[in-house]
Formats: sequence, C-alpha cells, structure tokens
Amino acid sequence: MRPMRTTMILLLAILHGSVFADDPTLDFSRDVLPILADKCFVCHGPDTKDADLVRLDSYEAATRLLSGDTRAIDPNHLAESQILVRIRSVDDPMPPADSDKQLSAAERATLERWIHEGGKYAKHWAFITPQKPTPPVVGSDELTNPIDAFVLARLQEISVPFAPLADRFTLARRAALTLTGLPPEPDQLQAFLDDARPDAYEHYVETLFASPRFGEHQARYWLDAVRYGDTHGLHLDNKRGIYPYRDWVIRAFNDNLPLDTFITWQLAGDMLPEATLAQHVATGFVRMNPTTAEGGAIPAEFQAKNNFDRVETIGTVLMGMSFVCARCHTHKYDPITHIEYYELLAFFNNTAESPLDGNAYDYAPVIKAPANQEMWDKWLGVEVARDRLLESVAATAVVKAAQWNEIDLAAKLQLLADPGGPLKDFSEHAEAVAISQKMAELEKEFTTTLVAKELPEPRETKRLARGEYDQPVGEPLKPKVPVIMGSLPTGTPANRLGLARWLTSREHPLTARVLANQLWLRVFGDGLVRTPEEFGLQGQQPTHPQLLDWLAIELQDSHWDQKHMLRLMVTSRTFRQSSAHRSDIADPENRLLARGPGYRLDAEVIRDMGLWSARLMQPFMGDEGFKPYQPSGMWEALMHPGSNTKNYIQDHGDKLYRRSLYVYWKRTSPHPMLTLFDAPSREASCIRRSRSSTPLQSLGLLNETQRVEMSRKLAERLVREKDDDARRLDLLFTLLASRTPTELELRVCRSLLNTARERYASAPDDALGLLAIGEAKRDEQLDPVEVAAWTQVTSTILASDVAILMY
Amino acid sequence: MNPLHEYKLHLTRRQLFGRASLGIGTAAMAHLFTGALPVAANDDSPNAKGAIGLHHQPRAKRIIYLFMSGGPSHHDMWDYKPKMLDMFGQPLPEEVRDGQRITGMTSGQSTLPVCPSKYKFTHHANNQDGVYVSELLPHTATVVKDLCIVHSTFTEAINHDPAITFFQTGSQVPGRPSLGAWLSYGLGSTNENLPAYIVMHANSKHAEQSIFARLWGPGFLPADHQGVLLRSQEDAVLYLSNPLGVTRQDRRAQLDALAAINQAQHERFGDPEILARIKQHEMAYRMQTSVPELMDFSGETEETFNLYGPDSKTPGTFAACALNARRLAERGVPIIQIFHRGWDAHGNLVGEHGDQCKDIDQGCAALITDLKQRGMLDDTLVVWAGEFGRTAYCQGNLTQENYGRDHHPRCFTVWMAGGGVKPGITYGKTDDFGYNIAHPDGTPMKPQPTVDKWTPGTMHIHDLNATILHLLGIDHEKLTYRYQGRDFRLTDVHGHVMHDLLL
Repeated sequence: MRPMRTTMILLLAILHGSVFADDPTLDFSRDVLPILADKCFVCHGPDTKDADLVRLDSYEAATRLLSGDTRAIDPNHLAESQILVRIRSVDDPMPPADSDKQLSAAERATLERWIHEGGKYAKHWAFITPQKPTPPVVGSDELTNPIDAFVLARLQEISVPFAPLADRFTLARRAALTLTGLPPEPDQLQAFLDDARPDAYEHYVETLFASPRFGEHQARYWLDAVRYGDTHGLHLDNKRGIYPYRDWVIRAFNDNLPLDTFITWQLAGDMLPEATLAQHVATGFVRMNPTTAEGGAIPAEFQAKNNFDRVETIGTVLMGMSFVCARCHTHKYDPITHIEYYELLAFFNNTAESPLDGNAYDYAPVIKAPANQEMWDKWLGVEVARDRLLESVAATAVVKAAQWNEIDLAAKLQLLADPGGPLKDFSEHAEAVAISQKMAELEKEFTTTLVAKELPEPRETKRLARGEYDQPVGEPLKPKVPVIMGSLPTGTPANRLGLARWLTSREHPLTARVLANQLWLRVFGDGLVRTPEEFGLQGQQPTHPQLLDWLAIELQDSHWDQKHMLRLMVTSRTFRQSSAHRSDIADPENRLLARGPGYRLDAEVIRDMGLWSARLMQPFMGDEGFKPYQPSGMWEALMHPGSNTKNYIQDHGDKLYRRSLYVYWKRTSPHPMLTLFDAPSREASCIRRSRSSTPLQSLGLLNETQRVEMSRKLAERLVREKDDDARRLDLLFTLLASRTPTELELRVCRSLLNTARERYASAPDDALGLLAIGEAKRDEQLDPVEVAAWTQVTSTILASDVAILMY
Repeated sequence: MNPLHEYKLHLTRRQLFGRASLGIGTAAMAHLFTGALPVAANDDSPNAKGAIGLHHQPRAKRIIYLFMSGGPSHHDMWDYKPKMLDMFGQPLPEEVRDGQRITGMTSGQSTLPVCPSKYKFTHHANNQDGVYVSELLPHTATVVKDLCIVHSTFTEAINHDPAITFFQTGSQVPGRPSLGAWLSYGLGSTNENLPAYIVMHANSKHAEQSIFARLWGPGFLPADHQGVLLRSQEDAVLYLSNPLGVTRQDRRAQLDALAAINQAQHERFGDPEILARIKQHEMAYRMQTSVPELMDFSGETEETFNLYGPDSKTPGTFAACALNARRLAERGVPIIQIFHRGWDAHGNLVGEHGDQCKDIDQGCAALITDLKQRGMLDDTLVVWAGEFGRTAYCQGNLTQENYGRDHHPRCFTVWMAGGGVKPGITYGKTDDFGYNIAHPDGTPMKPQPTVDKWTPGTMHIHDLNATILHLLGIDHEKLTYRYQGRDFRLTDVHGHVMHDLLL
C-alpha cells in the first residue's frame, strides 16, 4: 500500500500542481479562476451584455440577487448557491449540455469546494504586483542560490532529490551554448576541466559572459520577439533600412544595459532629454511592424492595422498579453475593455510615419547611424570626448554665448568649433574642430535606420467598432493604461515615455515577471510560465509561482541587470542537474525542474556550431544582413516583378561564413535552412519557437551546400591538426560534444570512416566532387580521399543528436 | 481514509484517466509508430490535443486546391452578364455601387465605365439549369457536370496581400497558420514516404503580385505543419539530392552510423524525441527515392498526356502540376495545393487572361476527368479560387478589344468538385452588373457576415474554409490551437458549413 500511495501523491503533485499533501488550501487565482475563465466566462464573463445573465467575474456580481430569489453564490446559504445547483443539475446543467466546454469531475469538485469554503474571489495572480518571497528553508547543502531553494522545496514535497550533477564537460557545453550559442573552445574547455578551484565553474561562466558572442546569441531571442526583419514584410516586401537597430540590441546585451533602460530607449528613446544617437536607433522597435504600400491600399486602414500590430506585440513582449481579443470587443476572459485597448493604442497613434511605406528603404522618419560595431565603437568614443569637452567649457561658454543653455549637444559643438563664432578663442576650440571633423567623417559611412518620432499635433484616437478602421465610435480617447494594471506613475506624461516608465515601475504587475520568464526560457528551454506569451487568465499558471516572483523582484532589485539574472540561473544547482530523464518520477515535460535542460537547438545555433567547428566562422559584427547559399529561384517564384527583393543575390567570400544572426531576413520568404528548423517568419512576434522534427531537416542537415562545406572543412581541420584516427575523433567529439567519444561512438565512426576510405580510394573523382562543394577552397596539401572519407564522418556527427541537441 | 485524501485521490484518478492518453509520452509514441499524430511539443492545451483527428466521417480523404493568385475575373470566365453589353462605356449606376469602397487605384478615375466582357459565353448543361461559360475556358466547360460553381463568394479585403492572406489563413494580418497547416495538424499524414502537405508553384507569363511563405506556413503551429514546396527546378524537394560524390550506399552507411549514435544518445538521456528523429532520418532516406519516382512521369500514358495537354510534359507548367497533383493524390498525400500567379489584370486583361486561362484550362478539366476515371473524384475535394474577383467597371482605357479591371471583393466565382460536394450545380447569384451578390430575383443584397448568422445564397471565405474542413472530417469550431491564451481557429469565430452544396 505504501508505495502505491506515494506514487499517487507524486503523480497528483505533477499533474495538478496545486493540491498536494502539505497544502490543503484552495487558491482562487490558481485553482478556481482558470476554470471559471475557461468554462463560464464565454457567457458569464466581463463582456456579458445581457443584463439577465449573471456575471461570474467578481464576487459582487456573483452574489447579486437573481430572479427566483436566488444567487449564483449565496453568501448566507452557500449550499443553495446556484453555481452548485446548476453544475450538478441533470435537467438544466451548466455549462449547457450542448456546450463544447464541459466541466471535468475534478473541476466540478474544485468549484464545489470553493463555494463551500465561501466562494471568495481574488485577483488573477498576474495582475497583483509581485512581492519578493523569502526562499523556503530546505535544509540542504546543495544550494547555490535562492532559485534552488524554491525548486528543491517543491521536489521535497514529493520526496525526491535533485538529479545528480551533470558531468563537468556536459555542463561546460550547456553553459556555453546557453550563453553564447556556441560550444566552448577546446582550450577553454580544458582550462575549465583542469581548474581545481571550488568556484571553477563560476570563473568559466564569466568568460562566457565576457564574449561578444554572448550579446549576439541573446539578441536573437529578442529579435524574434520584436519580429525584426530586413524587409517591410507585406506585398512587395521591399528592403527596409533598420539593421542598426539589430546591432544596437547586440551591443546593449554585451554592455549589459539595464533592462529597464533597454525598454525605455526602445519605446521612447526619442523623447529622452538630449537623446543620443543610440537612443534614437533603439526606437526602431516602435517601427518594427510589417508595412505595405500596395497599390490601392487605404491609408486609414493601415494606420489602424499598424497600430494593432504594435499594441499586440508590445503587449505580448512586455506584458505577456496580446490584448488581441479586446481589439474587437471587451475581453471575454481578462479584465481588459474595448476602450482600454484603444487607450493603449493611443500611445502609438501619434508617431510621425505615414501609414504606407512607399516601398522605400528610407521609410521616414529615419536617421543615419553606424553600420557595424566597429563604427559604433568609434562613434561612441567620439561622443564621450565631445561630452567631456562640452562639459569642461560649459561654465565659461554660457557667458560668451547666451544661447548655450538653449541648444543641443551637436549645436554646442558646432558653436565651439565655429572659426568665426563667439568661442573661437577658447583653448578647447581646436579639439572641438577635431571632434567635429571626426564625427563628420564617421557620419559619411553611416547608414539609414527607421526611428520613431512624435507628431507635433496628436492624431485623434477613437474606439473602432469590431476593430473596423472605418467604424470609429464614441469620444476621442487619451492615452491611458488598463486599470487592472494600475496607472501611470505620478508625474509621468501620457505618452510613450510615460508608458515605458510605467512598465518598468516597481508597481507594474507584469513586465518584470514577463522578462524574468523570458530569461528563464532562454536558459531552461521552457518558461516557468509555459505560455510565455500569455500571462492572462487563459495562460498557464507558473510551475513555480514563488520563484517567478522572486526572480521578478530580484531583476528589479539588481537594477534590471540581465547578466546578473542569467548568472543566477546558469550557476544554480537546478541548471547543473543531469538532463537525463528520470525513472523515479513521471514528469515528461520537466515541470518540476527535476532534471537539467534538454531540447533540440535552434536553427542558428546548429549552423553556427558547424561553421565554428570548421574554423570557417567570421567574427565580424554588424552590417547589412548577408545572403548565404540558397536554392535558386526561391524569391523569384514568389515575388512581384517590381519588388527589390525579387532576386536573391548570394554573397561570396567571408560574408558566407558570418553568424546566422546576420542572415538577411526577408519576412515573406526567410532562409529555408532557418524555417526548416522552426525559425519564425518574423511577420509576427515569437517568444518561443516550436521544436519540430521532420524528414526535411534530415535532408537539409546532410545535403545543403553549406552543411557539406562545413563538414569537409571540419574534416580538413581534423586531418591537418591531428595525426591519427583516434586523436581526430577525439577532437571531433571535443568540438561538438565537449567530450571524448565513447567506445561505441569510436567503433561506429571508425567503421564509417573505413568504409568511406575504401569507397573514395576506388572513386577519387567522387572524392574531388564532394570536396568541391561550397566556395571555400580545398586544402590541396591534403589527400582528397582521406578528407572525403572524413567528410562522411563529420557530416554524420554534425547531423547527429550529439551535436544538434542541448543536453 | 481522511476525506481530504479521498478527495485528492479521486482527483488524481480522474486526472490520470483524463489525461494519460494525452500525455507527452503517448503523443510521442504515437507519432513514432504511425507518423500520423502531429507532435504538439509546445502545445499547452489538452483541448487542442483532444481535437486532433477527425471529428466525423470525412467525405473527402484529400484536397487539391488550385489557387489563382491575383484575382481572376469572374466577368470574363464564369459570370455571364449580357445586360452590360448595352451599357458599354456608360457610368456604372450609382445605386449599383452604392457607395462601396474602391481601391486607391480607381478611386481617382473620373468615371467608372461599365465594361462588359468581350468574350462569348456558351450555355452548357449541368445537373440543374445549365451554366454559361466563357470561351476562355473551353475545356473546363466540358466538365461542368462535375463542378459545384459558387457565384456568390465574397471576401473582406480589397488588396492582394491582405486578401490572399485572409483566404489562406483566415486573417488579413500575417501570423496565423495556413489552411494547409491546419489540415496537416488535424489530419496528419497517411504516407510513410511523402509529407502530408505539398505545395506547387505553376509558371505564368504574367507572374505579378507577390505570394508569401505564410500562405503555406505554420503560423504558430509547430513548424512540421508547413507546406513542403515541390519545385520544378533543381531538387524537387529542397535539399533532396545527396551531394556530389555521395551515393545512396554512402548515405545508407551514414544513416546507419547516425542511428547507432542517436540510439546511444537516447540511452544516455532517455529523450523520446531522439527516437522520433531517427524515424525522420529514415523517412528522408525513403523520400530520396519516392520523390524522384513521383517526379518521373515516364509511367504516364500518352492518353494521359493528351488529356492534360502538351504543356503537361513541361515541368513547372500548370498542366504538369495538375498531373502531379493527381499523382500525389494517388500516393496518399492528403493536402495538395497549386498556386498560379498572374491574374491581376488592371490594364491588359484580354492579353493576360487569355494566357492565364490557356495555362490552366485544360489542366483543370483533365484533373477532374482523370480523377473521375480512376474513381478518385468521390473522395478528392478539388477547389478552384482566387483571392477576389474583378470590377464591372473598367480601369484605364476601355475599348471593344481590351480593357482592365480593378479588384472586387464583393462577389466572385469559386468552384469545387468531388469530395462530397454536389456535382453539376451553380449556387448563388449576382446582380446584372456582377457587382453585388443578388437575391434570386436579381435585387442586390449586402451580406454582413456575423458570428451567428449565415446569409443564404452567399459564401464568405470563412464559410468556404468551414466547408473544406467539414468535408475532410473536421469540425472547424473544434480544430483549435491554444496560443496567446486563446483557442485559435482557422475560421476565427465565424464560418458556416455550406450544407446546400453538400451531397
């Protein structure tokens, strides 16, 4: 009996996540509200218009007197509450017998219990400002930080320990892939394995944070979320000048720009006093929506559509709610009204761009900005010098030039550098001239990027009936935030800047949680909220609610320090667990976090790893997206003859080997090797990618030109750098799996290798044919038969789950 | 036992029985062994999992969807309006247009002159009162006894991108799964050697107007539901061929090694997805023979080539794609789609539609005939449609010989055949100007689609999609996928199955 009962309780804890042995309380927000929302609110929710229909979205409404002297919840006679009566009724049941949404027995039991316990309401958890919980005391010496206390407390409820620690080399690979999107360099790996210090892992992790590859890899998640693309996305899908924004994101992550600042600049950098170039570039975020200039398109229609897209994307990315239902009507589930949607929209209805893009690369407003990271380095260096210089003359300059305090930094510099101006005799004049010249020189190389700008006179915003652009109704609306999420902090303006201040204020119930969850998703492969794009009533409950809140407040307490948060996660005992599935618990989705992360790696990581292992990868950062090999005719087959992205013109030379993050992103036809492995189109926001498994992936992995090219260059590397098969296989597995091969792997690889050697020895032309694929020159010093045979091995291992999985 | 424990255990058993069959393990296993169940790796809705599969007995096992991108002119092909001949060049009466919006391309024209079709229409018998077909479609006219022709189709968008996106994804704004992806999600594959959803692009001399990967894309569904392009250049399926210097035996050796290594990886980590991937590598290997076999038409008889016409021997033509559609259908591929571009006749309609109809006419007729001869038409649904129709008034210069027409979403013609639809009927009617959907007596009506009400005599795009799903055994209201906290559907909250059209 005993084992049986343990099993049951254990399964109970996993499946239900709410009611377990030590927690007999029913939590309204966690246990009851999701049932009401899913099964009842369609008719009895916040948007119920029929006055005769009882609303069940608040205690006040549910206890209202109904006809026949009854109440849905009768506080004085709980047992007579109509909810109880109707959910048990055979003749007149609720939900109605013909409804698709029937209550399960467990749900009925929960509702009954809730009514019997008083039928009290509480706010949905995600709308309550989080408080920092005290980490539970778990009595373990295995904890690295509070994350582990929350996770272990949960495991202790079902009396299971953490999984054993992952092997050191596995952990090295896992951390490197998580933070930089690449495996560790062999010497970096060896240094870590040799490091006997107790905090060797922490030291190792710091080297990963310091790598410029960190910002590139982390930026990619953000670019998915904001739907970054290099084309306008609709109709002609012409080129768009926006890649300085992409480079800015990478830089922000590498520089560890605090996330509240990161968000503020993107939403409203242009509204900050003395806005810098970077702050303007960051507002490309507001301009990221797909746009059109299709002949005959009606401007008012696209003014509305562009704004819908903005509201819903910003909602999804920063508030975990798309609000999409409220575009047409008051939300059925969440307490967001139709009017509130349009009040939120009003924050964005005042940007200066035309609703139609004119198919133009420089779809105004635009500015010129550095085209790559080298240029950014130089520019920011000069900006610092300028600011220092202007600071040093400020006190005296104001005496000589009355307008000094009225003008912006650029004008001040101009004034100081003006050979005929009032400040020409200042000793700083010469340096000002030099800085001006340097800036002018750099600006010559700048490129176009779309930015946000406010119109001087606001556009009128009205609610649109059913979301139809030509059906405005009611009074003009002012920008305002949804009541359920609080209000703009006092003293902040009702514009994009105020919106940013509100989102990043400590009172905001969602933004910090949503961002913390996105970080968790990047590290663990799934969010604590498994529906990271939806925190509303229809989303999932967090697997570890207290941990989520702790992380959200920790994010704020750390001054929105992204690296700090990621550091906590990757150094946690939770992260360091072995990722092997456990036989002692049935938890296929790893909701208990009782094992380490394991999943198929993203398209970009799979490609980058191969290029890197073959020593092909080019580290250059920035510039316009590059165009790798692509089967012919793919764009032409789709595109309007007038489109300037009709012809795919493949790049050559070094550009072919740049990181996948920089692949040119044509939104109506992204690169097939990316979409084959679940990359989104970037026409809409994507917080989490699916992870599919298809035969086409197999074909791509083994046959695509660049895959073959990287395989043969990796083969060359093995042959060139190591003397015998054993050492070569060692290097191969060290590169891709951060470990030496197992006996079985050795046997399998040797067998494949020898078969291939015989094959190519008897058909040297086939060897030469294989080694001619891709543009990278073959190393003619090496024996083509040997390299071709090794290519068969490398392409196999590169395609294997040893390489393409996180484990 | 203490009541609380009892309560919990009760709950547990319920949940076990309620969910065990939907758990990841089972889903993955089913996928592994049949290949039929879509992997819902990040599907968080048990409801959606429950919805996978057929809701009722299907009338069609597969669909062949012929999509005419750009907006074919119902006036010049299907919707005969002899009264317009008498009004050649006169302004379209105000009461006909009735203030409806028109695109920015003709809204600046000083007049909207009535533009009768220059083509001759001939009456052809069907299973009702017969139907007029224009001389542009001589072959299709011979199969009207098998067609269910809907003259009263209407849509919501007036420009290509939103209209075609609406047609294929149920939303004007990008981001939703395509019809084909929904079907793939709902039906899975019945073929071990070919993907479930295959898309072809047929050549056109007038390939204007873009189409987009989103039209066969997965949207927020798992990416394995995206349509697989079958191409007429290079590899028929992307990356199908082994690289130069790698033979089939070489690949076999690679895959054997790969399987051994992946198997060992599975033993170390116990991740069921690894086993699923081993199966996918094997299917890829099989596709390397099944696809070339598919693309090799040498087994087709001269009679068949004659049926589809001389183009059918040229890869990439509509006729060749149509013939290939039949071959795919024979091989158990359930979702087959052909996109043919070039129907956007703003100026030179006569020149362009002449070529366009020539491209497709014989192939369409042949496909119907061929399927019928092979006994496959009964369980194959064929759909022919474009994203909207074209205006009754002329855009640009109007002469007796040539003219142009702007976009017209308010009524246009779509036909279906086989797969449970009534053969040889027409449905719905337009007014004397082919401008508004009309009551049987010819007076215009203005259907406004609502959630609850369907307007008899009309077919909205959501209705068409609901009907397609219905014929394939899917309840359009039940095939849902939880995303952003919402159970999304192809038909949003709309759509009515067109029972009037069904056998």
